[in-house]
Amino acid sequence: MNKEPYTPPSIRRVSQGSANPQRLGRVPVMDSIDGVPVADLIRQHGSPLFVFSESNLRDKIREAREAFESVYPEVQFAWSYKTNYLNAICRLFHQEGSIAEVVSGFEYEKARSNGMPGDKIIFNGPWKDPKSLRRAVEEGAMIQIDNRDEMLALARIADERKADLPVGVRIHVDTGTHAVWSKFGFSVEDGEALRVIRWMRDHTRLKVRGIHCHAGTFLLDANAYVIATEKVIELAVSSEESGAGVIEYLNLGGGFASRARLHGQYLPPEQATPSFDAYAEAICGTIKRRWPSGHKLPKLFLETGRAMVDEAGYLISSVVAVKQRSMDPAASSLAAYGKGAVTPGNVLGAYGKGAVPAAVGTQRNAVVLDAGINILYTSAWYQPTIHPASTPASAAQPTTVYGCLCMNIDVIREEASLPDLKAGDPVVLHPVGAYNLTQSMQFITYRPAVVMIDPDCGVHLIRRREVLEDVQGPEEIPDHLMEKILSTKF
Amino acid sequence: MNPLSSSEPPSRLADLMLNDRGFAFDPNTGESYQLSTTGLACLRGLQQGASVDELVDRITERWEVDPIAARCDVDAFLWDLQQLSWL
Ligand SMILES: Cc1ncc(COP(=O)(O)O)c(C=O)c1O
Repeated sequence: MNKEPYTPPSIRRVSQGSANPQRLGRVPVMDSIDGVPVADLIRQHGSPLFVFSESNLRDKIREAREAFESVYPEVQFAWSYKTNYLNAICRLFHQEGSIAEVVSGFEYEKARSNGMPGDKIIFNGPWKDPKSLRRAVEEGAMIQIDNRDEMLALARIADERKADLPVGVRIHVDTGTHAVWSKFGFSVEDGEALRVIRWMRDHTRLKVRGIHCHAGTFLLDANAYVIATEKVIELAVSSEESGAGVIEYLNLGGGFASRARLHGQYLPPEQATPSFDAYAEAICGTIKRRWPSGHKLPKLFLETGRAMVDEAGYLISSVVAVKQRSMDPAASSLAAYGKGAVTPGNVLGAYGKGAVPAAVGTQRNAVVLDAGINILYTSAWYQPTIHPASTPASAAQPTTVYGCLCMNIDVIREEASLPDLKAGDPVVLHPVGAYNLTQSMQFITYRPAVVMIDPDCGVHLIRRREVLEDVQGPEEIPDHLMEKILSTKF
Repeated sequence: MNPLSSSEPPSRLADLMLNDRGFAFDPNTGESYQLSTTGLACLRGLQQGASVDELVDRITERWEVDPIAARCDVDAFLWDLQQLSWL
């Protein structure tokens, strides 16, 4: 006789309002990714496992290119390496016509090893080490100057080479829609950027040919780009008028939102995330309106990262343990983490000491997954949707989802809508394709394998699971610590 | 305390109003509760005077779980019911 899927006997008090389990909505089961069953993926590659959809990656870049190229004559996308620099992913974007955007010597080397010639690399970032900067100059990379010291270093290199050096200048702007990213580049509002451009004109062989502005990331308000573009154009016009030469390109950086959901974001991503068309209209419409008539329109560079890769990425994970936890928000792990008001009592409660046993019936499900926040760095800002990957044994209810790290802050979702789960049940977290791999750290576990599913359902390993040697390969042990017993003067 | 020694269910349990979807109303406190399907089976069993072993048997017969895990979960469930003073 076939038995029914089991969940333990439980009892929960039914209450109104915020504790209503239905308020989080239903999360559909995801038992396959691009036609490949999750169970097969786990069987072949283990759990946890990152999975990328090749079709989704290709669809996104094609959709973005179509949105911009249909309204503007000369657009070039550059793949933002830091968003995800697995070589398979970088190469896919290069196949689709994107050049490379890098922010360090390491990324520069990676782009070169992926077949990008120097003149197809945009070199950004606040610190470009001297060796890489020199190499980038020699190989004709598009260097975007971030600060005075870098500008002086480049001026010296250009002098040594006895040749003019075309450069871009990075600026930061106040769009009024979010905090200004004033860490990067020169300020435009107080005239700093124009002053520096004039100084370069008078004292160096640096020729400013481009203006770069990456105003922020996950910009849900497309209007931010109207304002940023207006300010970039104002500077470009002033620069030309000052006799510093023709501005040939504008670079509006990245920042388009993916269909992720910020903590505390009220509207669902389907409603909140602007389309590529909306971003294209904000940027290209503004250039066409504001660029001085009679002048050739500048080439437009875009360095879109997360919107290209986030939704293509999934993390398969498995439940390893199930717990019951108090619904009392003061006892939530976030109280110990520093979000929200923390009284000494709360902190003790969150660490488990002196916690008052919660009334029975007010407990909620909590699950521990075999993946932790060390490979889901973005869960600090975004709430990945967690899909059950097998038929649910009960209705969905608010569930706390912990990671597997031995740290109290390792909470992937304070409250996800999940059915009763048991150890061994697989789940799929989505979207997780942007920044998680590049920002992940090895901590107490091996980082998982990464596979890519091609449009014919072929599964390709693009990064194997780590092994001990990957972690301790760079280590050295001093001779006197090789012996079991101390035999030196120490 | 051994609430399961008598074949008569304790009165608080007998008072409970239960429906087939696991919704329980406690007329003594006015509180409502939602039971999982296995929780409902246990509560029904208790109302009929079943022993712990019988509850475990009922669960392992119908659901995909081994006796030791079922026993562990039934004991935890009974503990919860004691906290509610239902046993
Ligand atoms: C200079 C630059 N360009 C592009 C990007 C990619 O941004 P996003 O992923 O928001 O599109 C970043 C990210 O911070 C950046 O600093």
